[in-house]
Amino acid sequence: MKVSKQARRDAKQLFRSCLVNGVLDENRVRQVVQEVSARKPRACLGILSHFRRLLRLELARRTARVESAVPLAPQLQASVRDNLARIYGPGLTLSFAHNPTLVGGMRVQVGSDVYNGSIQARLAALQETF
Amino acid sequence: MSNLLQEIEAQIAGLKTAVSRQNVGIVREIGDGVAKIEGLTDAMLNEMIDFGQGVMGLALNLEETEVGAIILGDYTKIKEGQEVRTTGKLLQVPVGKALLGRVVDALGRPVDGKGPIRADAAYPVEKIAPGIIRRRSVNQPVQTGIMSIDAMIPIGRGQRELIIGDRSTGKTTICIDTIINNARLNRAAEAAGDTTYRPLYSIYVAVGQKQSNVARVVSVLEEHEALAYTIIVVASASDSATNQYLAPFSGCAMGEWFMDHGMDALIIYDDLSKHAVAYRQVSLVLKRPSGREAYPGDVFYLHSRLLERAARMNEKHGNGSLTALPIIETQLGDVSAYIPTNVISITDGQIFLETDLFYQGVRPAISVGISVSRVGSAAQVKAMKQVAGRLKGELAQFRELAAFAQFGSDLDAKTQAQIERGRRIMEIFKQPPCRPVSVEVQVAVLWVAQNGFMDDVPVDKVKDFQAKLTEVLSTRKAELLAALLKEKTLSDSLTAALKAAATEFKQTYR
Repeated sequence: MKVSKQARRDAKQLFRSCLVNGVLDENRVRQVVQEVSARKPRACLGILSHFRRLLRLELARRTARVESAVPLAPQLQASVRDNLARIYGPGLTLSFAHNPTLVGGMRVQVGSDVYNGSIQARLAALQETF
Repeated sequence: MSNLLQEIEAQIAGLKTAVSRQNVGIVREIGDGVAKIEGLTDAMLNEMIDFGQGVMGLALNLEETEVGAIILGDYTKIKEGQEVRTTGKLLQVPVGKALLGRVVDALGRPVDGKGPIRADAAYPVEKIAPGIIRRRSVNQPVQTGIMSIDAMIPIGRGQRELIIGDRSTGKTTICIDTIINNARLNRAAEAAGDTTYRPLYSIYVAVGQKQSNVARVVSVLEEHEALAYTIIVVASASDSATNQYLAPFSGCAMGEWFMDHGMDALIIYDDLSKHAVAYRQVSLVLKRPSGREAYPGDVFYLHSRLLERAARMNEKHGNGSLTALPIIETQLGDVSAYIPTNVISITDGQIFLETDLFYQGVRPAISVGISVSRVGSAAQVKAMKQVAGRLKGELAQFRELAAFAQFGSDLDAKTQAQIERGRRIMEIFKQPPCRPVSVEVQVAVLWVAQNGFMDDVPVDKVKDFQAKLTEVLSTRKAELLAALLKEKTLSDSLTAALKAAATEFKQTYR
């Protein structure tokens, strides 16, 4: 749907108010959505849809997905968690997945950054050089 | 010792991480050659984006939540939801002498079917123009071979001269004649083993042209053996707006290679009006705000940054040069439209071609009154300055007086003489296409005309007189022309020899 500039601006303002010290506060988000749905201001659907988009992007930015060829041991998982927290700060949502197509190694995606140490990636890079 | 080496190598290998950090994004919208990508947080302006399957893009819009990228290549293969990544590289094109004689597209890939190009280097397409300190003023001529230009609106190496006019007035023809003449001069210098002559290489950038037109240009250049000194960059009308937008910059990068290596190059942008239209299309699809005539706000910067890259470098920086001849097509002679005025204010002069003159038979249809070269006689050989110095003023007077003559009023002898002289000069300046005239012949013919040898020749016989005079000078007085070319100035002895030759010819002319 076409969201007007004013609706986008309002949604952005609402979104900024949900950030506490740069980290998203879930309760505030729920509060905002409830209030907007209740009061139904002009362009309510536009505001909410843009707000949803900003939320989705922020959550994607703070989501880390760790894929490995074999399921990781708990110590390894903890060390990955610590390393990521060291680089990206607190508040990361971590998820671990098992992906046998990687052949070996690990692929970590945090937002738009991808750290690919898997054998599949190295093979693909090798293929590109040919 | 070898154990130590192995140990150190193993340690270094251990330090090198096999993990590469990439920045990725997801395509959210794709259409009209433009993709909107979510993610890609590390994308930089003009960075190359890899869409996979050999398709690359250029990040042009960096917004808060998304990146707008234009696609170089086949955008029909790209799907929404596809992952793309940054490459950390700027767009580069192959450059070097290996490109001479080839026809390439906007990315430097060959399209003439003559095999791959083994280029020595790659230059970035977008580059900041050389600064003030690295430049010097223009003082070497570009011999176009077109008499009216070389005499009255001379172009120098390192200058930007705009060629502006309506459709079908001969703009491209002037440029092709320049390429042919310079190829002829290059060949002559090579054959004579002259190391003091600096060859001029040409680059012809066709933006938005019909492919049949480009094919015709290629065949004309081949016919006159000029293709070996020319690079042709093609972004035809059927190419995407992205390619048409990039082609002039790619051509400029190729020209800059010659300039940086102490050589001289000439680049022709045919034409920048279509380039502005392609940029407008790209900007509008990227949802950038539009301004006058729907052109984006930075359409001036588009052309200024392109044309500023044409310069003359000083001795310390190689003494090379890049001369630019941009072409602009006007509608109904309107030079006060948006894009024409923009480019006129950027260039160092313009050659204005008029439809009226064209249909009156004055070809090249150059309107001498409003054409100007801001470099002027600094870019002429001394001999040409001596004969053509007053020509522009005399022709301006002739044009004024010609209006009087139309009323059939009685004119005094002096005025009549001026009108007759002016008519003959105008007749001399008519020239067929693809027949460039060498500078020594130009000087000789103009000297003959300025010194009254043609005053009693009927106006309709002037071209015939000129042709026969040229033939006589080239065959029987070749050493006179050679001396003129060598000395580049009309000394007393040369003037006397020329006078004798002209008198002799005049006596035998019927």
